[in-house]
Formats: sequence, C-alpha cells, structure tokens
Amino acid sequence: MPLIIKDEYPEKLFREDGKRLDGRDKYELRPIKMEVGVLENADGSAYIEWGNNKIYAAVYGPREVHPHHLAKPDRGILRVFYRMATFSVFERKRPAPGRREKEVSMVITDCLEPVLFLELYPGTAFEVFINVMDADGGTRCACTTVAALALADAGVPMKSLVTAVAVGKIDGELITDLSGIEDKAGEADLPCAMTWFNEELSLLQFDGSMDLDEFSKYLSLAKDAISKIYEIQLDALKKKYIEIQEEYSGGEKK
Amino acid sequence: MMNIKRVISTIEKNYILSNLKKGERIDGRDLWQHRDWSVKSNVIASAEGSAEVSLGKTRVITGLKYDVGAPFPDLPNEGVCTFMAELLPLASPLFERGPPDEQSIELARVVDRGIRHADCVQTKKLCIKENAAVYILFVDIYVINYSGNLIDAGGISALTTLISSKIPEGIWENNEVTWTGKYLSGDTLVNELPIILTYGKIGDIIFLDPSLPEELVCDGNISISVTEDKITSIQKSGYATLSIKEIEMLGKKSMEIGKKIRKDLNLWQYKR
Repeated sequence: MPLIIKDEYPEKLFREDGKRLDGRDKYELRPIKMEVGVLENADGSAYIEWGNNKIYAAVYGPREVHPHHLAKPDRGILRVFYRMATFSVFERKRPAPGRREKEVSMVITDCLEPVLFLELYPGTAFEVFINVMDADGGTRCACTTVAALALADAGVPMKSLVTAVAVGKIDGELITDLSGIEDKAGEADLPCAMTWFNEELSLLQFDGSMDLDEFSKYLSLAKDAISKIYEIQLDALKKKYIEIQEEYSGGEKK
Repeated sequence: MMNIKRVISTIEKNYILSNLKKGERIDGRDLWQHRDWSVKSNVIASAEGSAEVSLGKTRVITGLKYDVGAPFPDLPNEGVCTFMAELLPLASPLFERGPPDEQSIELARVVDRGIRHADCVQTKKLCIKENAAVYILFVDIYVINYSGNLIDAGGISALTTLISSKIPEGIWENNEVTWTGKYLSGDTLVNELPIILTYGKIGDIIFLDPSLPEELVCDGNISISVTEDKITSIQKSGYATLSIKEIEMLGKKSMEIGKKIRKDLNLWQYKR
C-alpha cells in the first residue's frame, strides 16, 4: 500500500474497467489467511490477515473474575476486549481505549455468547483479547471471526463457530467485504455474523439507507460470503491438528 | 498453553541456579549469549515504519506514526521522538488490562533513554520551521508474547522501526506546511545505533538475556545501552546489588556484545 499524505477520498469507487479500486469484482472477498495457536502463553489464540487487516486474538479462561462483583453465581461470563494499536490507522489513535472500541467489544461479546455453554462455568470468566495491529475496514467482522477461532483453539465447548462479513453499497452498487476506503466513502455498510449451529444472525448493524428489496439482497450476498469464509476458518482449525498428526504419524516423530 | 505463574517452584529455582553455577543455562545457552533473534520490518501498512522482533519466544511489534506540532520552547529547532510501550494482556496471563503499569513505563523509558542520549534520532532534521512546526514521532511498542527480557527486544524493534520508516517531507511555505511528495527515510533520521543489553543477576552470577523463568528467579536486572564507543544509559532494577568491579566488567562486556549484535543483525538492511 502506498503511503498517503492526505486522507483523500476518490470521486469514484469503481475503476473504468468496472472493478473496485483494489482490483476486486463486486462480490469478491479480499485474500484471507487464518492461523490458530500463534501465541505461546494464551490458552487459545488465532491470527487473521484479511486484506490489510492484521489481527491477533487470545483467549484466557475459565479463570477468576476481576473485579469480583462481575462474577455470576450460576454461569460464567464472556468478556471481549477489542483494542486497536496506535499505528493501525491513518491518524495515530490515542493509546487509551475510546468509545468506539468499547462499543465494538460489546457487540462482539453479544455475538459470541450464544455459541458458548457458559452455564457450565459458574463464577468464572472467559476473556478474549483482540488486538488490531493493522486496520483497513471491516475490523469488527474480522475480529469476530478470529475470536471464534481462538475460542475453538482454546478448547472451549462451543455449539459452532461464528463467521462474520460486511456487505455494503458504493456508487449505487451492492458489494461484498468493504475495504477501509469503501467503508468511509461508500453509501452503506452492513456487518453481520452467523452462528452456524442454527444458521441465524447474531451480529447485525447497518449504516446507510436501503429499501426492503435491497435488504434481502444484502442478506443473501452476506450468506454467500460467510459460507466461503467459514471454509477458510475450518481449514485453519483443522490444519493445526493435521500438522500434529503428520508430525507423529506412525508413532515416530519426523 | 498457559503454565506461567508469578511465583516459581523451589525445585525449578534450584535447577536454574545449579545450572548457572556450572556456567550453563536451562535452554543450553552460555552465560553471554542471546536467544535467537528474528527481525522483520515493514509489517504494518498503516504505519510509517514498523518492525516485528522476536527474541526466543518473546515477541514485540512496533510501529511509528508522525504528527506535526509546535516544538518545545527550549528546543525551538528540534523535532520530538516519543516512545510508548504496551504490555498487551494477550501476551501473558501476568499482564493486566488498564493504564500502563510500572513495567511498561520502565520498558518505554529505558528504550527512550538509550536512544535519546546516543545521537541516534536526528531531531534537528525533524524541524520544518523553527519555533513553529516540527515533526513529532511516536514509536509505540506492543508486546505480543512475553517470555522474558522485553527491553532488548523492544530496543531492537524501536531501532528497526526508525530505520525502516518513511515520513512525508514537509517544507514551510506561506506560513504553513506543504508536502513536497518526497519522503524522509531511515538514513536521514537515524545516525548511531545504540544497542540495549539486559543482564540478570542471581547471587554473584551475572548472565545476558534472562528468559522468563530466569527473570522470575533473578534478584535483579541491569540494562546497559551502548553505541560503538560509548555507554549511553544504564538502568538497574530489582533488589540485587552490584559491585563496582562487576559494573566495570559489564560495561566492557556490553561494548563487545553490542558490536557483535550490530554486525549480526545488520539493521541498516531494513532501510526503505
């Protein structure tokens, strides 16, 4: 990515050849790479590169709740902390967590909670730390996806994985997976996440304006994209165990 | 997986100690050897400079952002370079959320002092217009995985970040900053390369680059920054005491090791 001096928005978000600014087709996803078990000290961890987004997630728990009054006697609690690095955005972000980060943390918590069996862990907390090291649009979706992967890597009992994607509108056309500039200069943005055990949406936000026809189109676009991302997610999770299996196949270490 | 505690078991402590007494380390190093270094630069697209450094299993990511602001009144023609460190709670169960604690402030301060007093960052070249506009650089260090000796890793990552940086060049025209479209690169910003070396001390044994279990057993640490021929900062932490002889010995040792690391890592290769 070239360095830019001013955060200028181009007039058109489609190039002359009908492709988007980064060369993608309307419904094409950015390249996505996921990996689990990347952080030594965490109970479970995952890393995602989604276009220019680079995000680490780590899970600790079940462990004691601090401060203690947050603990619930009949069930465990899930706490998600979404934080961005100061250098992950165009203008340096202040180091202290802002309102946006707290809101996104809450949205992700609510999104992940339905897949966990928290009633099995009374009085404890699962803490998910998500750090965005480099951001380029769609971080809340990437964070939800990678957090679910980290929880699975930690061996936390789950009903299913959760996968998220954003769909939106630029220059009057519906598109999948908005990049940073499309998010800022575009007309609409609809991040959503699916819990696979019941195939329902557990994260849904919308900014922009749409009619009811468009709404169903948005949702079917999102469903297609989510299915593709889910495959990558599953592969990343399996890969770790395939590697262990290969390493020890035949009872001897290679 | 997690098996890190604030307190180390007596049996492990004795094991580490008896090994050190024989001049050996639990991970097979000798007393004056670092764990393996790995340095990658330009890892963050949004930052003007960045580096990912691992020292054994300790891993840090550092990025540089810049701003243009007014200089300090007593240094009207010099830019500013600030350092911040954050010990992310994902890096270790020992780290907690919240505002920076002593350990992260110490990390940022020691890295800052080592670099500040070494003629490293050329602050005079970061001046756009005297008394009016200078660059303010923010070098922010994030710890991704904690396995002992954050200071050495933080120091190298801060240096690599500065060397790999590309900052838009601004000039003063009609009472405001205008951008020339060119960039200031690492060789303009950085002159000398101060290397920070941290030693642990247990009883009367001193050794380089304490790993996490060693750090937990240590009576104390001492960090020394060296340039080619000068010591630029020292920080002693923990309850250990050092004799004058020991400190002199460490000064000499640091010069040697500093030279070797400067050569081995060859940080100038990361200039963009």
